[in-house]
Amino acid sequence: MDAHSAPASVAASWRLPRWLAPALAVALGYYLAARLGFAFTLQPHPISTLWPPNALLAAALLLAPTHAWWWLLAAALPAHLAAELQSGVPTAMVLGWYFSNCSEALIGAGLVRALVPGPLRLDTLRSAGIFLASAVLAAPLLSSFIDAGLVRLIGWGESGYWDLVRTRLFSNVLAELTIVPLIVAWAAFLTSPPREVPRARYAEVAALFGGLLLVCVLVFDLPQRGSSVSPVLYYAPLPFLVWTAVRFGVTGTASALWLMTVSTIWGAVHGLGPFVGEEPRAIALEMQLFLIAAAVTVLLLAVSYEERLRMERESLEQRKQLTHLSRVAVLGALSGGIAHELNQPLTAILSNAQAAQHFIANKTAEPALLSEILQDIIVADKRAGDVINGLRALFKRGEVLLESVDLNPLVREVVTFVQGDFTTRGIQLQLRLAERLPEVRGDRIQLQQLLLNLMMNAAEAMKACAPEERILTVQTLATAGRVHVNVVDRGPGFKVPPETLFQAFYTTKTQGLGLGLSISKSIVTAHGGRLGATTRRGGGAAFLVTLPALARRV
Amino acid sequence: MSTMQASVAVVDDDVFVLKALDRLLQSAGFAVETFTSAQDFLGKCPANTSGCVVTDLSMPGFGGLDLQQALAKALDSRPIVFISGQADVPGTVEAMKAGAADFLTKPIDGDKLVVAVRAALQRFAAAQVRQAEQASVTTRMTTLTAREREVLAGVVAGKLNKQIASALGTAEKTIKVHRARMMRKMAVGSLAELVRAWTLTQPPQA
Repeated sequence: MDAHSAPASVAASWRLPRWLAPALAVALGYYLAARLGFAFTLQPHPISTLWPPNALLAAALLLAPTHAWWWLLAAALPAHLAAELQSGVPTAMVLGWYFSNCSEALIGAGLVRALVPGPLRLDTLRSAGIFLASAVLAAPLLSSFIDAGLVRLIGWGESGYWDLVRTRLFSNVLAELTIVPLIVAWAAFLTSPPREVPRARYAEVAALFGGLLLVCVLVFDLPQRGSSVSPVLYYAPLPFLVWTAVRFGVTGTASALWLMTVSTIWGAVHGLGPFVGEEPRAIALEMQLFLIAAAVTVLLLAVSYEERLRMERESLEQRKQLTHLSRVAVLGALSGGIAHELNQPLTAILSNAQAAQHFIANKTAEPALLSEILQDIIVADKRAGDVINGLRALFKRGEVLLESVDLNPLVREVVTFVQGDFTTRGIQLQLRLAERLPEVRGDRIQLQQLLLNLMMNAAEAMKACAPEERILTVQTLATAGRVHVNVVDRGPGFKVPPETLFQAFYTTKTQGLGLGLSISKSIVTAHGGRLGATTRRGGGAAFLVTLPALARRV
Repeated sequence: MSTMQASVAVVDDDVFVLKALDRLLQSAGFAVETFTSAQDFLGKCPANTSGCVVTDLSMPGFGGLDLQQALAKALDSRPIVFISGQADVPGTVEAMKAGAADFLTKPIDGDKLVVAVRAALQRFAAAQVRQAEQASVTTRMTTLTAREREVLAGVVAGKLNKQIASALGTAEKTIKVHRARMMRKMAVGSLAELVRAWTLTQPPQA
């Protein structure tokens, strides 16, 4: 670092402090990881079961921008020397291992970075697959060859080349598999933590990890007679792992896997649990394979679950936006009519006020007349206010709010929006509302949008009709357990099968996206109802909304 | 403008607007009748009475333009002031072409409406006076003989008695007699009065 800082002083002077903290963190982490690696070595013939420093280094590289990698690798060197030189290994071997450790981290992180640009997020099956193939498989495999070659070259120990490859490979694979997702997922979690966490979720986490810890201790950390242990016991933690995968994403799953891995290896190192026996090498391999198999399976499950949830969330959000946009578009088309609806009360207010002024000027203002005028002004003003409030609600991009809704007033409210437009088009509106209608459960705004869409559609369909034929009927009625709204026009009807009408982008209009009916259908479906369409015998189309009725409160 | 209250008929489907306009026009001194639909108005107001009609342009079913056509068909020439909630350009053009007295958009300034109604009534009254005069002149002209009519044509064309006599092939004296009788029948005292009365019967020049 000192050698570089002299010629490139300006660049280094601001770059150095910026990467100082991460570099120190990597150094400290690397040292502790190496100590952990030593602690997880089976005795008396030292067999490494899990070697975390390489994986930690790989995770650090994956989180950092590529140009900072060299600082992080350099920071690991003092930590490596501090950890390894205590054990009396020759310096050449220590440096050789530093080289092979760095090569593993670089190969893994480099491959992942090349295939998944930007910081790794294990949130798609594709990125998880690339991570498994590159960092978990290719990097440990390639670096194991280098590692074993260096060991043979320097002449440290008596193991054969392929033995060395095998031992290094599995301990490194297990480390990459359990440590990289843990660090990567927690880093993502901490940089954007969820805003509100319900208390029940904390309780669930406590129950889950408490249960998992208990099971792991019972299965892996208690004295057992190794040979008689049923392999079925190994699967005891599985329900907890699946639980985390389904409910707590990659972050939770990686944490749970780490808990299981640590407790399993701790047991084995201390001669507890099922993984004890005469032949440490075989035992280590069996344990590693068990943990690797469990980790890969559960991790992929978590990723695919998270991916599906995210896609569902995204498509829900898109649908919400689309619904809102189409609502705004319909209101835009209605603006002329809505202006009319506002102009009526405004005219009433203005004319009443001016009349009162005249009466007062003429000295013919009787108190009774004036109070009547004021009362009418108040009524007209409230009417204008209702129109504006209704509009504001429709324009707002609100969350879905389920409540009990009486469809009759809802129809009347929508009528105030379309009335002006219909009058200009010469359309007569007939309301045949049932006298007593059970309520339905639904989102008021979406149901209004549904009615708005159907009524606008019906009006549009009667464009070419003779003036006296332009009659639009809205009918509400109740049958057993259901509420119906029928919107009937006297237009030409439709010639395609009804299902076609509800497809997105199907339209007969010259101006129109063809989304109105498709959105209407999805609104009805989301409310647990059905939207049907028929062509009437006398001409005209009828759109039939059927919604489940709320049970009447007694 | 006169001691008698001028009457205004207001047609609007919105009861609140109708009530407000009723009060406004009453406060301005008009006798007001209100109707909630064009059919209602046509049914109750058949006679070609004096006064003015204020109607909403767009009403469900039978609109303001239909009302205008129905009145025209009945040869009812009462002035119509249109009011409309929207700036409906084609509707406005159609109404004005068919002789609407004025066109106001909602929200209506009451004073403007009063001014418009007053102006429409004045124009209508003036037109009615003119029509009455025209009718009486036309009646008087029918009492003229053929020769007197020829003399009338010569006089209003600015010819001298001598010129008329030579054109008609008679004596100047005879023309003088015809002329005096014609002036008496037309009930005018001077040449200027005669020309004014005669002009009333002529179609307006483009």
